[in-house]
Amino acid sequence: MDYLVSASTDKGIKKNTNQDSLAIKVADTSIGKVALALICDGMGGLQQGEVASASLTRAFSEWFDNNLSKLIQDGIDDFKVRREWEQIIKNENKKILIYGQQQRIRLGTTIVAALFTENRYYIVNVGDSRIYEIKNHVNLLTQDQTVVENEYRKGLITREQADNDPRKSILLQCVGATGDVYPEMYFGKTETDAVYMLCSDGFRHVISMQELYEHLNPKVLISKEVMKRQSELLIELNKSRMEQDNITVSLIRTF
Amino acid sequence: MLEIGSIVDGKYKILNKIGQGGMSIVYLAMNERANKQWAIKEVRKDGVKDFEVVKQGLIVEIDMLKRLSHPNLPSIIDVIDQKDNFLIVMDYIQGNSLKDRLDEFGAQPQELVIEWAKQLSDVLGYLHTRKPAIIYRDMKPSNIMLKPDGKLTLIDFGTAREYKEKNLADTTCLGTIGYAAPEQFGGKGQTDGRTDIYCLGATLYHLVTGMNPSEPPYEIKPIREINPSLSSGLEKIILKCTQRNPEDRYQNCAELTYALEHYDEIDDIYRNRQKKRLSAFITTIFLAIVSLGVGVGFDKAAEAKTDEQYEDVIAEANSLTNEESIRATLKKAILIKPGDKEAYISLIESYYNPQYGDENDMYNFSVKEAQEIEELLNDYGSDLKENKSNYVEVSYELAKAYFFYYTYGNEDKSGDNENAKYKAAKKWYKNVIDYSDENNFLYWNESKIYYEISEYYTSIGDWENTGDFKGKYLEYFSNYIQLFSLASDNKKINNDNIKLRMYQLFSSALAAKTEKFINDGVAAEDVQKLLNQMQAEIQAIENPDNNLESLISSIKASNQKIEIKIQAMSGS
Repeated sequence: MDYLVSASTDKGIKKNTNQDSLAIKVADTSIGKVALALICDGMGGLQQGEVASASLTRAFSEWFDNNLSKLIQDGIDDFKVRREWEQIIKNENKKILIYGQQQRIRLGTTIVAALFTENRYYIVNVGDSRIYEIKNHVNLLTQDQTVVENEYRKGLITREQADNDPRKSILLQCVGATGDVYPEMYFGKTETDAVYMLCSDGFRHVISMQELYEHLNPKVLISKEVMKRQSELLIELNKSRMEQDNITVSLIRTF
Repeated sequence: MLEIGSIVDGKYKILNKIGQGGMSIVYLAMNERANKQWAIKEVRKDGVKDFEVVKQGLIVEIDMLKRLSHPNLPSIIDVIDQKDNFLIVMDYIQGNSLKDRLDEFGAQPQELVIEWAKQLSDVLGYLHTRKPAIIYRDMKPSNIMLKPDGKLTLIDFGTAREYKEKNLADTTCLGTIGYAAPEQFGGKGQTDGRTDIYCLGATLYHLVTGMNPSEPPYEIKPIREINPSLSSGLEKIILKCTQRNPEDRYQNCAELTYALEHYDEIDDIYRNRQKKRLSAFITTIFLAIVSLGVGVGFDKAAEAKTDEQYEDVIAEANSLTNEESIRATLKKAILIKPGDKEAYISLIESYYNPQYGDENDMYNFSVKEAQEIEELLNDYGSDLKENKSNYVEVSYELAKAYFFYYTYGNEDKSGDNENAKYKAAKKWYKNVIDYSDENNFLYWNESKIYYEISEYYTSIGDWENTGDFKGKYLEYFSNYIQLFSLASDNKKINNDNIKLRMYQLFSSALAAKTEKFINDGVAAEDVQKLLNQMQAEIQAIENPDNNLESLISSIKASNQKIEIKIQAMSGS
């Protein structure tokens, strides 16, 4: 398995800073090529959201550089990835929380991260950033952890009510805001000739699934250049439709 | 930050720091003359955005709090206004918070929780019955201190309401906002005593089950699903407190206190025993019949009363001169009768119509104003839709405000204004078109034209981004010819202002992208023909006022530009 990757981010039309952070890395290992991609969507006043998202991004990036080869040597499995990632997230949660208390501000960040290996992917999610798998159709792999989505899933409100609910931007949890954090993990088979798309919520509010498919399906994304161009095109489309948030998207095309 | 060991206000010696919140630090202090310990809460001014704005509110609120006296509230005895901070001197409460207790021991015994619940309901009731009512809004275990004598004290009280408003424009995290009731999240943002009742219910749930409702699985289940030995009476009380709809909760703390005092009587076992008493059953039926009759009577009366109230409030709005109070009054009217169009339409007009005072704000429909009306329509649009023609008229007025007066993007000159304006207007014109037709709405044709114009403007960006504009300009131009003839038909649009505004839009669009139109296959002769027709129409306008004059000169300038461009293209 091999990967083409690209990542694009834009502060958007409304905000003065870009509080999204991202990392995307590919490495050659004893079990073949592996790729890590992640997006953190920071929140908090002024520039502080960046502190949270950048710090968590750095921690995952360092894990990839320093700990992954050992994990692969020992035999990688779902359980071990979960344990290591939970540990990173809990440590960072504590660090950001303490920083916030010292600065007397509230800050936090979402995270969606995915590690791809030859035959398995590992995903962790906190908050409302997402990862999609695009092959013959668009398949959302993560569940948003928002108050409204949660009530919808429990059948307390209808889809329409959920879409119009004023609480849309309330996350059930994020990293760095409260004492505890409970990351959700997903595992599955890495498809060949598929596109995995990670995005912050700013990328997807005003773009339809159909548009995602048309622009980002594996038949279209045949080179890094096309991937970059299509990402930027969708970012501009978002902006022309008055999306207010920071906008970030990363693509991993397998082949 | 106060220095440990320093003396504040000549009498309070700071002993040490005992707590820290988002906005404040709490110190233990000693009044050495009186040999008494106090807590001093320091609210730093630089930690609060727009401090000057909240300051007045803070002072008023603290003054009010100083007058409160209840066994479950700390007394505030002094407020010191210093350069960098506010110092609030209050009772030093010994003991731990209920959060500490939960962290250490987990779920608390039911009898104890009910005893606490009565104290909390009592103190909330005290606050709610002040004039004006005080809503606490932040009931949670970490704000409740348990004193060694078993009495509770509600703390974190010196902070002004401004601090507690949940800001939902940005993404936030449930954990940081506590057990917020649904109505605290904006939207139907009426928080009242029943909001505190919700948060108290969530607090009791946490205390008696040890499960924090703002952690997974993020819900308030019937408590006996977690611990079957708990009381079904208490279960009912907690469920009733935490209903989504405030109407379904206890309506005041007196009701709640009564339920808490009789919780064992609403237990299922007790109920079953009661059911056997047939005589009571018959009485119930009798009472039910009586109250049913009374209920119907009340309904009718209530309806008439609403109408009367609504008219009164509208009349009040009409009599006012201050823009702010007019709007506040109109919003009040909307709340009274959300299905009527009048208050909405007046409110929309007040945003840009110069007759509503503020000279600087004339002909400006600001982003904030747009948000206000959008929120109202989001909340009450369904009431309004019950009568389609009402909905259509309000949509039309709002569309017009966006189309002509929306100022989005003007402040930063980002050039986003055009796009935002037409995008917003398009949506509301679409409502007009969808919810009415040519025969039942006077301005249907006009709306259709505006819709098409908005559609053109908002899609230009898309065509150019996707590079997929082959044939679009041609298509658009033929569209334009059709609309032009519609606009020139005086039977359909008999309004010079609107006609000219439309010409202006088209000619400025043509002028900006003349080459693109021509390259896409639009014949230069057709453009010229159109310009001539436009010229003729303009000349036919009798006695144009200043406003029309300026439109005409702008159209002429654009048309000239188009002619020059066409000549240049044919010349090269």
